[in-house]
Amino acid sequence: MLESFSSFFSSTGVVALFQDGAIDAIKIIIMLAVACVLLYLAIVKQFEPLLLLPIAFGMLLTNLPMIKDSSAIMMHTEFFTDPAYMVHGMHVDVGRVCREGGLLDILYLGVKLGIYPPLIFLGIGCMTDFGPLIANPKSILLGAAAQFGVFFTFIGALVISALVPSIAWGIKEAASIGIIGGADGPTAIYVTKSLAPSLLPAIAVAAYSYMALIPIIQPPFMKMFTTKKSRSVVMEQLRTVSKTEKIIFPIVVTIVVALVIPDAVSLVGCLMLGNLMKESGVCDRLAKTAQNELMNIITIFLGLTVGATATADSFLSVQTLGIVALGLVAFIFSTIGGLLLGNLMYVLTKGKVNPLIGSAGVSAVPMAARVSQMVGQKENPSNFLLMHAMGPNVAGVIGSAVAAGVFLSMFG
Amino acid sequence: MNVSEALQTGQGVQLSEALSFGGLTAVTGLSIVFGVLVVLMIVLYLFKLIFYKDSKKTAKPVEEVKETPVVETKAEDDVDDDELIAILTAAVAASLNTSTYNLNIKSYRRINDVRPAWNKQGLRETIESRF
Repeated sequence: MLESFSSFFSSTGVVALFQDGAIDAIKIIIMLAVACVLLYLAIVKQFEPLLLLPIAFGMLLTNLPMIKDSSAIMMHTEFFTDPAYMVHGMHVDVGRVCREGGLLDILYLGVKLGIYPPLIFLGIGCMTDFGPLIANPKSILLGAAAQFGVFFTFIGALVISALVPSIAWGIKEAASIGIIGGADGPTAIYVTKSLAPSLLPAIAVAAYSYMALIPIIQPPFMKMFTTKKSRSVVMEQLRTVSKTEKIIFPIVVTIVVALVIPDAVSLVGCLMLGNLMKESGVCDRLAKTAQNELMNIITIFLGLTVGATATADSFLSVQTLGIVALGLVAFIFSTIGGLLLGNLMYVLTKGKVNPLIGSAGVSAVPMAARVSQMVGQKENPSNFLLMHAMGPNVAGVIGSAVAAGVFLSMFG
Repeated sequence: MNVSEALQTGQGVQLSEALSFGGLTAVTGLSIVFGVLVVLMIVLYLFKLIFYKDSKKTAKPVEEVKETPVVETKAEDDVDDDELIAILTAAVAASLNTSTYNLNIKSYRRINDVRPAWNKQGLRETIESRF
């Protein structure tokens, strides 16, 4: 009887907490605390709660103290990052994951094999209206300008890697960090899981947290880079867009993107498929499923498993701090890139374009467009920029997916 | 593109190397992004050329509506009138197939409904049967 108690006791988490000494125990406790802070941000502050809550809970689950090789372990990050567990030291051993992996390992295959982000894009496509973009074609360029932060941060990450000895970021890591500036969670995850899987949790947390903070990050720079006069520009009403145009648009975009940058097709193609399902009006049932049930299910899987990759070893490092700092830089410079082109358009059109719609070129739909509307209305209460800002906003989604494709084709 | 060992692994990256390679990648990358989106922009301008028929070419740019034909006589109490006027203006604009910006509303006046009850009932039944 005593023996069975003692064997039970030796399998508890309390024992597991101290199995690797005090330092590891402290690390575990810190990670659990970080997870709880993120849960607090998700629940009380409502920072993108639909994603941050599963991410934070995944982080909690993966860091619970477990006896080594226990069958209760839900996530084995080593299966995905440690060459010793891989086929030929480079490919994930899917058979092993299925045989020996826990629940989260198996779900994580969806991230690792690049399944979840495109499916999320499918749902986003069903919810996106490209009408404002079709009505005002030049606004698509603002979506390209707002990728400036992505590439600026890429340089920044390499520079930090050169200057700080304890940080060793190569081009792949730098590209994954830069893509945070695309302000698009699934895209960031899609790039990072291929190029720098060990940075995935930090990048996902940074991307989603800053997206939630867009209404705080953007306005100061929007005021700094525009004049009072340009901010109060009232733009011409958008033309009406016919159903035919809305149906042809997704098909054309898919073909054009595929011709230039095939690596972006799995994201852009799914986005456009979703949009076509919505605009064609002939498969409402599919569109409804893609944007509701399917997307919700994938969101749970994605958030939970991305959070679960945040082990103490990968997360508690100087690198994470660097990523958090560079993520902010990426968002700021993307905003500035959009605003600068917005200003150029303001000058070239002799004051017909309000430069504030430029900052909406960072994807983050529809938050960034709402911020443009809000800042514009402060200057001129009768001004409605929302629909004008939606153009660059949805263009930003295409732009950041293309930027992701560029990185994947260069370094993948 | 040739990438040095240091840039691949991140170990011992030189500052000059980071700046030159990073700068080059940034310029190439941004150009590709702009290139793709410029192509899409051209496609969208073609859309406008092919599919969009400017309704303003058929209608006069600015129409002045002096009095709306439907509503006449007797001004009533002015409660909630701003909202009502906005709705009426939008309705007139929609029926004339133009924008509210092109309308210059001078006045609205309410008229009494003088139709007999049977007349109204008949009209309602006709409308409902068409749904």
